[in-house]
Amino acid sequence: MGVAAISGILDTTVALVFTYIAYKTGAYIHKYTPYSYPNARIKAMEAKLFDEQRFNELAESGNLENFVASLEDTAYREYLTALGGDLTPWNIERALDEALADTYLLMAKIMPGRVRGFFKLLADRWDVKNIANVVKARTAGEDPERYIVEAGSLFGRVQAMAEAKTPEEMLVALEGTQYAEPYQRYLLGEISLAEFETELYRRYCGTLKDYVSSRKGDERVILEEFMRLRVERVNVLTILRAKRSGIPPEVIERFILPGGKLKLEPLINAEDLGMALAELDSTEYGKVIWEVRETVEKDLAVIEPVLSRYILRRMRDMERFYPLSVATAVAYTLEKEEEVRKLKAIAKLIHDGVEPDRIKELVSEAELVEEV
Amino acid sequence: MDPIVYVALGAALAAGIAGAASAFGVGIAGAAAAGAIAEDEKNFKNALILEGLPMTQSIYGLITLFLILLSAGIIGSGFKFSANTTQNIVKSAILFGAGLTVGLTGLSAIPQGIIASSGIGAVAKNPKTFTQSIIFAAMAETMAIFGLVGALIMIATGVGL
Repeated sequence: MGVAAISGILDTTVALVFTYIAYKTGAYIHKYTPYSYPNARIKAMEAKLFDEQRFNELAESGNLENFVASLEDTAYREYLTALGGDLTPWNIERALDEALADTYLLMAKIMPGRVRGFFKLLADRWDVKNIANVVKARTAGEDPERYIVEAGSLFGRVQAMAEAKTPEEMLVALEGTQYAEPYQRYLLGEISLAEFETELYRRYCGTLKDYVSSRKGDERVILEEFMRLRVERVNVLTILRAKRSGIPPEVIERFILPGGKLKLEPLINAEDLGMALAELDSTEYGKVIWEVRETVEKDLAVIEPVLSRYILRRMRDMERFYPLSVATAVAYTLEKEEEVRKLKAIAKLIHDGVEPDRIKELVSEAELVEEV
Repeated sequence: MDPIVYVALGAALAAGIAGAASAFGVGIAGAAAAGAIAEDEKNFKNALILEGLPMTQSIYGLITLFLILLSAGIIGSGFKFSANTTQNIVKSAILFGAGLTVGLTGLSAIPQGIIASSGIGAVAKNPKTFTQSIIFAAMAETMAIFGLVGALIMIATGVGL
């Protein structure tokens, strides 16, 4: 073989090898590098999540002043300090909700641009809550200010709604948002208050779904799974509660949220709660609810923590499968939601004068009952 | 190509690719270290050790660069393969291959950085996982060591020091 031939073979091989390696290396770096900082930070944040011992200590606070003082060394301090001496369970609840909303916004800040919008949308959940709470408070003749949380991208409009003197002014405050139309229909008496609230969540879920569908690769897989599980949990709980109350299928359908893959028709059309649970047994949730299957017909509340734990378990599974991915942040937000929910429950129980041992018992059995 | 081009490319690729990969690896782990420190300063020591692991590939690249230049005579007596003969082409190609081997196996610094990054996260959550995290990250080092050993054999047997 001549010199030119050897050189030719070498040059071509080098060019091919380098092109392939440069492409693969670039793709590898693009995929994982943006998650390096947020994932390590979130892991460090996970180390600060409250364990059972910490919840037990808080349960023994005795009064809300001590409860707040016990949270002095945590990230909740700034939110609770802002309350001053006005320590009521609902004020503490709002402060904790603000802390949770800021957790979502922190995720949105540190996560890669390609999933940032998802966490902003999660924080926008308070838009739906706030709008529904203002309308409900107005309907009940109460002061709406007490029920709104300073969170969500429509907070300014929500405040305007709360300050409005007439329903028409409230509608004007919502003009230009996707929530104006259902409120208009509610004002016209076309839908009930409960249907209005469901419609708000429907539209919110639709926005989330559109965003998730626009993602690519692993991110889409993880976020779709998260969305699916959250929506299905809400739908399953809605149907089971409706079945227990004997609500007809055509009414139940009005309260179903979009975004799940579970076939709901057999559950909705089941004769009673027992039949609906039997239908659920043949789905992926059959194994999930197996541990509470015997007691669930007597006490439907036991199914909620089981479904919530399943979502967290699935997200942790996905985190193991996709180590540097959005799954870590999603799983963390689920755990943070649970922490906040338990703190709210402890504050409420302390205020109600419940014994510490009973509070510990209730909190350890506590479940995640957050909306989508 | 002339033999000098192969030799120069071999030396450059050994140090260049391995060095660039180390830079990426340290960068990825460094970002994770910053994330862990942002939440708790106590993570600094553990994060620093893990962050430094992907640097070794650049050292292997540098060692190989010196060996290639030494065996080709560029460092010392003068370039040995200046004549464009088949034998010189083959020897310079062997040196090129040695450099390429170390350069490409040096790319292990990137996944090592990713492993170290995950390790920093794991240690930030639970400091007891530090040793395990070091071991996991060190596994990626094996490929770089194999590459260095392979390059040494190629240089020593194919060209001679």
